[in-house]
Amino acid sequence: MIFKVAWRNIWRSKVRSFIVIGSIAVGIWAGLLIIGFSFGMNNERTASAIGTTIGHAQIHSNTFDAEPLSSATLGDSADVVALRRTVEDLPFVAGTAQRTVLQGMINSAKSARAVRIMGVWPEDERLQTTLPMNLVEGDFFESTGRNRLVIGEKLANRLGLKLRSKVVLTFQDAEGTLSRASFRVSGIYKTLNATWDEFHLYVHHEDLEKTLGTPLVHEVLVRFNETVNTDEKAVEMASSLPEGVALKSWKQVNPELGFADDMMAIMLVLVLGIIMMALLFGIINNMLMAILERRRELGMLMAVGMNKRKLFLMILVETLMLGFVGGPVGIVLGDLSTRLMMQIGIDLTSKKDGLAELGVQSIIYPEIVPEYYIIIAIMVVTTALIASILPAVRALKLNPVQAIRGE
Amino acid sequence: MSKSVIEIKNLEKVYDGAVPVHAVNGISLTITEGEFTALKGPSGCGKTTLLNLLGGLDKPSSGSIEIGGVDITTLSENQLIDFRLRNIGFVFQAYNLIPVLSAQENVSFIMLLQDRPKEEREARAKQLLEAVGLKGKEGQRPGQLSGGQQQRVAVARALASKPQFVLADEPTANLDSTSTANLLDIMEKLNKEEGMTFVFATHDDRVIKKARRIISIEDGKVLSDE
Repeated sequence: MIFKVAWRNIWRSKVRSFIVIGSIAVGIWAGLLIIGFSFGMNNERTASAIGTTIGHAQIHSNTFDAEPLSSATLGDSADVVALRRTVEDLPFVAGTAQRTVLQGMINSAKSARAVRIMGVWPEDERLQTTLPMNLVEGDFFESTGRNRLVIGEKLANRLGLKLRSKVVLTFQDAEGTLSRASFRVSGIYKTLNATWDEFHLYVHHEDLEKTLGTPLVHEVLVRFNETVNTDEKAVEMASSLPEGVALKSWKQVNPELGFADDMMAIMLVLVLGIIMMALLFGIINNMLMAILERRRELGMLMAVGMNKRKLFLMILVETLMLGFVGGPVGIVLGDLSTRLMMQIGIDLTSKKDGLAELGVQSIIYPEIVPEYYIIIAIMVVTTALIASILPAVRALKLNPVQAIRGE
Repeated sequence: MSKSVIEIKNLEKVYDGAVPVHAVNGISLTITEGEFTALKGPSGCGKTTLLNLLGGLDKPSSGSIEIGGVDITTLSENQLIDFRLRNIGFVFQAYNLIPVLSAQENVSFIMLLQDRPKEEREARAKQLLEAVGLKGKEGQRPGQLSGGQQQRVAVARALASKPQFVLADEPTANLDSTSTANLLDIMEKLNKEEGMTFVFATHDDRVIKKARRIISIEDGKVLSDE
């Protein structure tokens, strides 16, 4: 019956209870939308980086990781084939792509810049990355010709380059000798990551080999079946690799992305914590008012023999019920709103350039993150529990005689 | 010979202040089982304070109160709560029913605090409400009942825990004459038929006329005991 009394007590002051329940619901609703939005934005950024450029993991030689010299290869062709086969045999690996990675310079008629030259096997790139789908002009080595170059739009603009513009690339061969070769822009790409676009350019591996005199493979990009438990998969894969090579997960390849992921989780818990703090004071205020209004009744209950444990329990249950009503309402509202936003997206076109710098599209599609529903439920219950303490202590301190008299 | 229910010896209650107030000033009394006793006197004479002391709601400055052989002045707060629950029924001037519960639930609630089984609670609550003339009103909440009916629910509630005695503080103060007569008849009937001991603090002549023992109090002392 204590539950019945607590439940009915909530509705004694309907307006006040609706305000508290409403604030709990709105707080949770807002929290879920923030979570959905943040995850949508961050996951899109991560998925874009993984899918377009860096893959889920990358394998390099240990020496390359220490210093990315041209000579720090993964071995000869047979070694690379064997390595790729080992990796592709793992059940969670969808495919691999090999690359030549050279540090170099690009010179145009207008300017010069330091760049990273990616010598690619176009078919591999098409299968394992989405970069070939991000061409804004030209093509990704589909047309015939020699010394073709695919360059990021941002870098092309800085260097004043257009399709068929001629540039000179300078890089080291495996012996450390500087080599120069002229290339012609055959494609201009644009990913969501403007920083990547400004620093990376792609050439056909055959064109590089003609200048270098030998095929060099510095990197094997690995794509998993899905972007879940990538850290665990990377650890498992690392254990199957031969000596002298090392594996980096996408978080290690692009620490900024991994850091954003971890920081976002912390930030979201903090945001939820702040929302719960605001709710905490609202609930405490509501319950203190309720206690004040029911002094006579509480005094009577103490007088007739309701012990402190039961009195405490009654107030605790009453406070929890506020959360149990407001919590699910907020979760349902948040879930429905997020699902709606998942369909139509949140249009931030006015912040398009800034978002592009972050590697994010201008329309954000929020995501449902079920584990946060559990976190929110736990936080609501905890908040209600904490909120019940002060009103319950106040009630326990009442003097029955004075309370009955309404003093 | 009637059994002694309450034994009060040299009871004093002094409220500290710039001028200490002796609300109860050396009272010694014996109340026996089955009494229908009124503590009468003007406002501020100390009768409510005495009632509160008897009910263990307040601690005396000195003296002892033995109820069924237990000196309640020596009990801890938690022991007193439990003692009140099992031995004393209260009827308050302002009824003090729980507004969100029905008449039957209000009566049952005390038995719930005593951890009695649901069937027993429901059966006794119905029986008591019938005894106080509220058959058919079991499902109504206090707000749907008249003042007299609410006070009858309060009497049923006081009896629900099967107490040794019932303390009633100005139970008729808010009632009209008809309701007062009804209520007194019910309490007198319960007193006679069930042997329930009633102690009233009152200055209502209608109550005093019904009482079989009248203790007059003035300035915290017993003036007369008839």
